[in-house]
Amino acid sequence: MTAWSRLNRGETTIDFVGLRKRWFIISAVAIVIALASLGIRGLNLGIEFVGGLTMQSPNPANAQLEDIRDDMTEVGIEDVTIQFLNDGESVLVTTPVVEDTTAAAAADALADVTGSDRSEVSIQAVGPSFGALVLQRALIALAVFLGAVVLFISWRLEFKMAIAGLAALGHDLLITVGVYSLTGFTVTPATVVAVLTILGYSLYDTVVVFDKVEELIETEEEMNITEIVNRAMNQVLARSLNTSLTSLLPVGSILFVGSFILGAPTLREFALALFVGIAAGTYSSIFVASPILAVWKEKEPFWIDRRDKVGRRGKSKKR
Amino acid sequence: MTRRVVGLLIVLVLAWGGLALAIANGLTPLLGLDLQGGTAVVLTAPVGTPTEVLEDAIAVMNLRIEGIGAVQEPEIAISGENTVVVQLPGVEDEARAIEAVGSTGLLSFRPVLVSVPGSIGPLAGTNTPGIDNETGLTIEDDIHGEAWLLDQGVAFDSVVILVGPAQLEGSHVAGANTLPPNPNDPGWAVSLDLTGEGGVRFAQMTAEAAGFPGNDPRRQIAIVLDGEIITAPSVNQGVSPATGITGGTALITVGGGEEGQREANDLAVVLRYGSLPIAFEISAVNKVSGTLGKDSLQAGILAGAIGLALVTIVLLIVYRSLGLVAIVGLTVFGSLLITVFALAGEWFGLTLTLAGITGIIVAIGITADSYIVYFERVKEKVRQGYPVEEATEEGFRLAYRTILTADTVSFLAALLLLMLAVGAVKGFALSLLIATILDVLIAPAYTRTTALILSDTRLGAGGAFSIEGASR
Repeated sequence: MTAWSRLNRGETTIDFVGLRKRWFIISAVAIVIALASLGIRGLNLGIEFVGGLTMQSPNPANAQLEDIRDDMTEVGIEDVTIQFLNDGESVLVTTPVVEDTTAAAAADALADVTGSDRSEVSIQAVGPSFGALVLQRALIALAVFLGAVVLFISWRLEFKMAIAGLAALGHDLLITVGVYSLTGFTVTPATVVAVLTILGYSLYDTVVVFDKVEELIETEEEMNITEIVNRAMNQVLARSLNTSLTSLLPVGSILFVGSFILGAPTLREFALALFVGIAAGTYSSIFVASPILAVWKEKEPFWIDRRDKVGRRGKSKKR
Repeated sequence: MTRRVVGLLIVLVLAWGGLALAIANGLTPLLGLDLQGGTAVVLTAPVGTPTEVLEDAIAVMNLRIEGIGAVQEPEIAISGENTVVVQLPGVEDEARAIEAVGSTGLLSFRPVLVSVPGSIGPLAGTNTPGIDNETGLTIEDDIHGEAWLLDQGVAFDSVVILVGPAQLEGSHVAGANTLPPNPNDPGWAVSLDLTGEGGVRFAQMTAEAAGFPGNDPRRQIAIVLDGEIITAPSVNQGVSPATGITGGTALITVGGGEEGQREANDLAVVLRYGSLPIAFEISAVNKVSGTLGKDSLQAGILAGAIGLALVTIVLLIVYRSLGLVAIVGLTVFGSLLITVFALAGEWFGLTLTLAGITGIIVAIGITADSYIVYFERVKEKVRQGYPVEEATEEGFRLAYRTILTADTVSFLAALLLLMLAVGAVKGFALSLLIATILDVLIAPAYTRTTALILSDTRLGAGGAFSIEGASR
């Protein structure tokens, strides 16, 4: 039987729990890189968070959005927001905080492309619109949500699964934020939302996987906990791969087609967070949350007892 | 079998027909600032206003604009020295924009001195300085002085009221909530909580008012926002003139029915968020275009279409005829989602931003996963030797348990974000919330029915494209 059809039939025999050191090292390396990058490079926060400059100019030449954006890129300003006021009568350009000389060059360029006089271009500082309030509210919501999730999973499945799920969640968030730091992509409000999305997805995925473990705990009376978790992982593997495929295809398509072929940085920025987060979310359910659960539950008297009874057969070789 | 087919037809007609009906009536989702633009209102504060005060004002505005509920996800930023730019998504006409930014000024509680029936004040035609000669109303209200103001009562005819200097301001209000009618009182009410100092002042103020006899207008307390009387309730007969209303809380009763409910809601919002630390002047109103260029939007749509096409291919290859069930199911899901967004845009001013679309993409992922969880179960049962029809039935029972648990987690996330968060996060939360509810409903109403219908045909047990074929 081919590997693919074994996978498809849930009959693979990968020792997920036994090989846990390998998975934990992979994750640890990724997290260390993420933290190091955050410490050294930090995050590239967008205008919405830190403010910037606005330039307003009349637009007698009827310059189009693409023209203005190209001109701004030429003077060295990457992240601009361009809006037309009153059906194109004038243009409002918002840029990050830049050097005075760059700002002057940008104003010249804007006057040029819109066909207006340099004196008609007004420049003003603008404060953050995604201010402390929005962030603070989002964080409160997050804290309440995590509390509620722990309670719900503890009630529906069990407390140790809730904690293992949260560990996987922290893993996914760190890696996603780390990728932002590494690539230097701008963090926008859409990014924040994408990160919240990952949070939901990561937990959702862990719950699907743990539900299978719970089912086998109820039905398999001849297996120790390590065997149960391994069997459950092998059985959900096909589902996990197919799900990540269907979730990642649209996001990946936006990431690659949208940004690299057609050049739309706004799309690139949130698609990246989603792509990395969903991939990490699927990975961590199987390779992080499940081994943690198995190792933790192995220490319960009930499972020690079961292990002694059924023998250590099927237990992986120590590595 | 016939019953199943009828059930399936009902679901399809509801989903596709609903969308067609919405579009035929000109209802499409309202697009957000980033996608379609809206209206920008420039507000100017007095010169020399400290930045911290402007920041406080922005926080209040954000909550208030969303609290009133006509416009969601505004973008508000300080610009230059003393101006604030409020961008309102989806709003096209100027009057509505100004209404949404609204009474941006000061909330005050003031004693009623004189009340005159009608809509014209007694000083009309007397050429009194500061008084409009035609209406007899005060032109520029200063909350520290007396003013003739109009009270356009909802239930009664309007009256003109002379109010005294403010004794309580918005900053003394700690909170306000709407209370539904109860058996003892058929009207809606608003409970008012005051700060420590506010409570003391309120007791003094109501003690004075309670000293006047039964129908005297001076028993009333006028709640004024930007020179406009919001409401002017009377102090109850039971209140002692020696102490007034103590304890820092009060109950304001308004009318019953739907009218009363709306009035109570508006009042609670005004009381809760009406405390801007400073009065602004509207200095410009502009129409603005979307921030995300048309090219980005087109790129996004093209990329999304390619992505969905790839998903379709994968589902067909892996799950064969069941993949077909999933693909039709995704169109059912999509139609319902668009319809809900169109309605929410019409009713609550909810706009679809890039963030909201992100929520939808994730929602599609979660919905697709529900199918996959189910189909894997069906395959498992078929391999265990169950006949195809029993496998589809039994697989659903097992899968639905998982789907419910997992969806509950997403539902919790969405609900809490929607209730607690503001701004861009809200649009995302709503799409996720709607999507999880739809997912839980669609699974038994559509997916199970359709899979069972299939299981009875050649697409169930038969060739490579059948359910049995996918299980091999």
